[in-house]
Amino acid sequence: MSLSYCQIDPVEALEGRATRITTAMAEGESKSRFKRQKVSDATDNDRANPYLSHMFEGNDAAGGHANGYGNGQTHDSAKGGMLASFKRHASTAKMAKVAEDGPNNPFKQGHQLSERYFGILKKRRDLPVHAQRQEFLDMFQKSQILVFVGETGSGKTTQIPQFVLYDDLPQLNGKMVACTQPRRVAAMSVAQRVAQELDVTLGEEVGYSIRFEDMTSQKTILKYMTDGMLLREAMNDHNLSRYSVIILDEAHERTLATDILMGLLKEVVVRRPDLKLIIMSATLDAQKFQKYFLNAPLLAVPGRTHPVEIFYTQEPERDYVEAALRTVLQIHATEPEGDILLFLTGEEEIEDAVRKINLEADEMIREADAGPLKVYPLYGTLPPMQQQRIFDPAPPPFKKGGRPGRKCIVSTNIAETSLTIDGIVYVVDPGFSKQKVYNPRIRVESLLVSPISKASAQQRAGRAGRTRPGKCFRLYTEDAFKKELIEQSYPEILRSNLASTVLELKKLGVDDLVHFDLMDPPAPETLMRALEELNYLACLDDEGELTRLGQLASEFPLDPALAVMLISSPEFYCSNEILSLTALLSVPQLFVRPASARKRADEMKELFAHQDGDHLTMLNVYHAFKSPAAQENQKQWCHDHFLSFRALQQADNVRLQLKRIMEREELELVSTPFEDRKYYENIRRALVAGFFMQVAKKDNKIYVTVKDNQNVLLHPSTVLGQESEWVIYNEFVLTSKNYIRTVTAVKPEWLLEIGENYYDLDTFSKGEVKTALMRVRDKVRKKQLIAGGR
Amino acid sequence: MAASTPGNEEEEDDYLSMTFADTTTPAPPKETSLQRTARLKKEAAARSLPLSKAELEAQAQANLETGLATSIDSSNRGAQMLARMGFKGGGLGKTEGARTRPIELEVKGDRGGIGMDSEKKRKVREAAEEAGAGGGEKRAKVGVEEFRVRRAGEREERRAEGLVWGAMRVLEGLGEDEKEGEGDDVPTTTTGHGAKKRRLRGVNILYRPLVRQRLERERDRKMRYDLNNSLSTRNDNDDDEDESVFDKRVEELEDADPELEEFEALSFAEKLERITKELREKYRYCFWCKFRYPDAEMEGCPGLTEDEHG
Repeated sequence: MSLSYCQIDPVEALEGRATRITTAMAEGESKSRFKRQKVSDATDNDRANPYLSHMFEGNDAAGGHANGYGNGQTHDSAKGGMLASFKRHASTAKMAKVAEDGPNNPFKQGHQLSERYFGILKKRRDLPVHAQRQEFLDMFQKSQILVFVGETGSGKTTQIPQFVLYDDLPQLNGKMVACTQPRRVAAMSVAQRVAQELDVTLGEEVGYSIRFEDMTSQKTILKYMTDGMLLREAMNDHNLSRYSVIILDEAHERTLATDILMGLLKEVVVRRPDLKLIIMSATLDAQKFQKYFLNAPLLAVPGRTHPVEIFYTQEPERDYVEAALRTVLQIHATEPEGDILLFLTGEEEIEDAVRKINLEADEMIREADAGPLKVYPLYGTLPPMQQQRIFDPAPPPFKKGGRPGRKCIVSTNIAETSLTIDGIVYVVDPGFSKQKVYNPRIRVESLLVSPISKASAQQRAGRAGRTRPGKCFRLYTEDAFKKELIEQSYPEILRSNLASTVLELKKLGVDDLVHFDLMDPPAPETLMRALEELNYLACLDDEGELTRLGQLASEFPLDPALAVMLISSPEFYCSNEILSLTALLSVPQLFVRPASARKRADEMKELFAHQDGDHLTMLNVYHAFKSPAAQENQKQWCHDHFLSFRALQQADNVRLQLKRIMEREELELVSTPFEDRKYYENIRRALVAGFFMQVAKKDNKIYVTVKDNQNVLLHPSTVLGQESEWVIYNEFVLTSKNYIRTVTAVKPEWLLEIGENYYDLDTFSKGEVKTALMRVRDKVRKKQLIAGGR
Repeated sequence: MAASTPGNEEEEDDYLSMTFADTTTPAPPKETSLQRTARLKKEAAARSLPLSKAELEAQAQANLETGLATSIDSSNRGAQMLARMGFKGGGLGKTEGARTRPIELEVKGDRGGIGMDSEKKRKVREAAEEAGAGGGEKRAKVGVEEFRVRRAGEREERRAEGLVWGAMRVLEGLGEDEKEGEGDDVPTTTTGHGAKKRRLRGVNILYRPLVRQRLERERDRKMRYDLNNSLSTRNDNDDDEDESVFDKRVEELEDADPELEEFEALSFAEKLERITKELREKYRYCFWCKFRYPDAEMEGCPGLTEDEHG
């Protein structure tokens, strides 16, 4: 899985290097194996000879690695190798350069550097950050905290951690350098790239750690990881004592985990003066970081950019999609050579636009002698193979000297920062993106089409100037840009349900949630809702302290509701099944429904459908997937049944990881016999144990959410018929209609029994739901009385 | 209730332009207690009936708005927990100016570009200011209750507007049927197109706004189409025959139409009354029964107003 991901991964495959790297790797490996035999024997002297740096400098002047033998060689193989002369936090760029020039690998004792290494090294030295290596070192050495600004393509993500390695020498103290990434894919692919750049094996000196996958070892000195993983580590080690330097990369993205980490590290650096912290951002709003970190020094490295001319519309657009299509076609008809990048909001909109542009372009070619136009969609859920296609070169003109061909990429905002496509000269920006929003008042967390921020708009425009001067067409007026767009996008912490964050903070030892110093504190109501939810889930007591259940729940990298459901599942004799289900709920959509074969896909889904709901249907899918028939040829089987093989594989992996945690925490893995008529009922009851706060009741034709009183519809994808009066749901999605998604029927008696605290009817406001629940309660009581009377 | 009573997206566009026109009339006076009781009664009665799709949508929207406008109060467990942790109101954290309210949640219902909404709002506001000052101060201190009442009022208004459009459409449809029956010499393919091809001024005032609005939209569409066409320089001649009539009618759009202005100045209720009256008198059609009676007595129809239809 990781491999296929790496190839498509946008982040540093940036300049379309991905393929080149793969071939270079094969070559390099054979070379290094060959050379390894020539390695000189190890002598351990002059380990800290302060004079040696001069000699290295001399060698450098003498002309690079080929001549760099002599005295140097004895030190190469010493403990600490070529770095023996380096003093921590006192090295120079020059010294590092000599060490990098080899011939022995400074970080891998007794290994010579491969040819591939030198090939990459040459390119690395062309990166913009390289020019400022000394400047970086000076600031790094002087200050505990440093803010570093470098635009995408400056090389900061791959190079800065290596600069740090040469100066911080974490191996001497048995520490590590950590570099966080907001995305799993980035952590994996960057680690792989840097392992190649340092000529070491991925997982040894350079490794990565992401949720459900740890690719590190005893030898690891540089660790790329998701910000979420570092946060999890901090739970068990509040001082993060394994690290001597922590680099928070892509801090401008302001993910939830990065924001929490910043708050945490602000405290840790006080307790640990030996810890150094680098905040890396790609945008120039770095002053905010500086201010937050008590005026830490700032170093900015310019990216390689060309000027971009910006055009606005005269009037607001009535229909931004239509306007976007028109603009793309206009560019194709009138502008000189250069590829087009169009930003739209979501899969459906993008696919539709691609279709329409193709149609129009065909007509332009037929009737107006336009050049060829290749249109590619790009969005997160697109299969890797198709994502890769955006790197294909633009089509050539139909005939020599004819109108130029170009490609047009229609993308979500993943092309805004996380991915760079060369050759883009024209950017069309309608000004919208899909953004997650959370509202604690009605407890909805949903992706909504919203206006972007000024910062995003600038970022988008910048995409046009990567290869040569470009143009950006904004489909709004200049006035609207100034007045309507907010300065910065809202950080994730303001747009998320904070239940799991609060649990994490508690586990991180943050006692004072009210005054925890966050860069952008969330609205108090968001925190109230999170506390309330955790209290009802019995993870926090009334004073806000972690309960034992809360402790246990925080061991799982899951939403609290899912964790609680999983932990209590043995009580319902179905922990095996709930374990599978939890895994299934943690991965992307299982069911594939291609536009070309909707009917067939629905028929296939019908095969797995369980009348009581989507959760049970998903479970049926998983069980079928694990059956011998399917295991014979999993891929084919998934394809035939319109299921996502990747999602199921991932679910398998997640299940395994969760199972390990369950075993470690001594949670029993049990099942009700399948023949037992309570088999499915037990599972449904266990669902209630986690999701009793996500319940809707049918009232006439519509469903209304319990307590929040929101009208909702069952999502069209559900297998559940309309006849179930009470349902639990996994998601409340807001679009032009309000949907609940992944629903399963439950009985109201279970709600009263299992969610007893939450269903304290005194806390309900008057209405249909309350009346219905009171009836149920009375019925239950009557039954109990009769039973007791006997 | 719903702006979407007429049912399709296009209508959403119009009611905004109508709102614009309507703001020239003074805002309805504040509700008296009697009116309030009457309204509540009516609402209660409405609740007991199964709701139409549009009404359901409106209800969902209303619930959403109420939900979003209602902050978590101190009786909430989470609020109490936070208070016990030392929260005393204001924002969280250590920095000044932390946010105190959740981020506004706005569901984008159309594909209007950035600035489109505020452009519309601006026009409405300007019109309101013209109509008379003094509204600004009041707006500054709107309580929750007042807000709800106002929202309810707005919903009523929108519903009334929807009904007017619906009634106009019925009237137009009946009118067209009639003409077809008479063997009118205007070639009609669909009722909509038939209407388009007559001169605007000749259209019955009671549904002229509908025709006019359709025409305006047609013009916009055409302008966009022309723009598109200029890109690919293609030559479609299909529409040429319509061109001259169309252009004349477009010219007409620019002219003043005092009769129409007068009609537009009426409140929705008045407009509706006039249209339904016309429907009854001319076509023996009751807008509330949704039925065309065979004779002028209209036996079985409970009365002239919506209320009488329960």
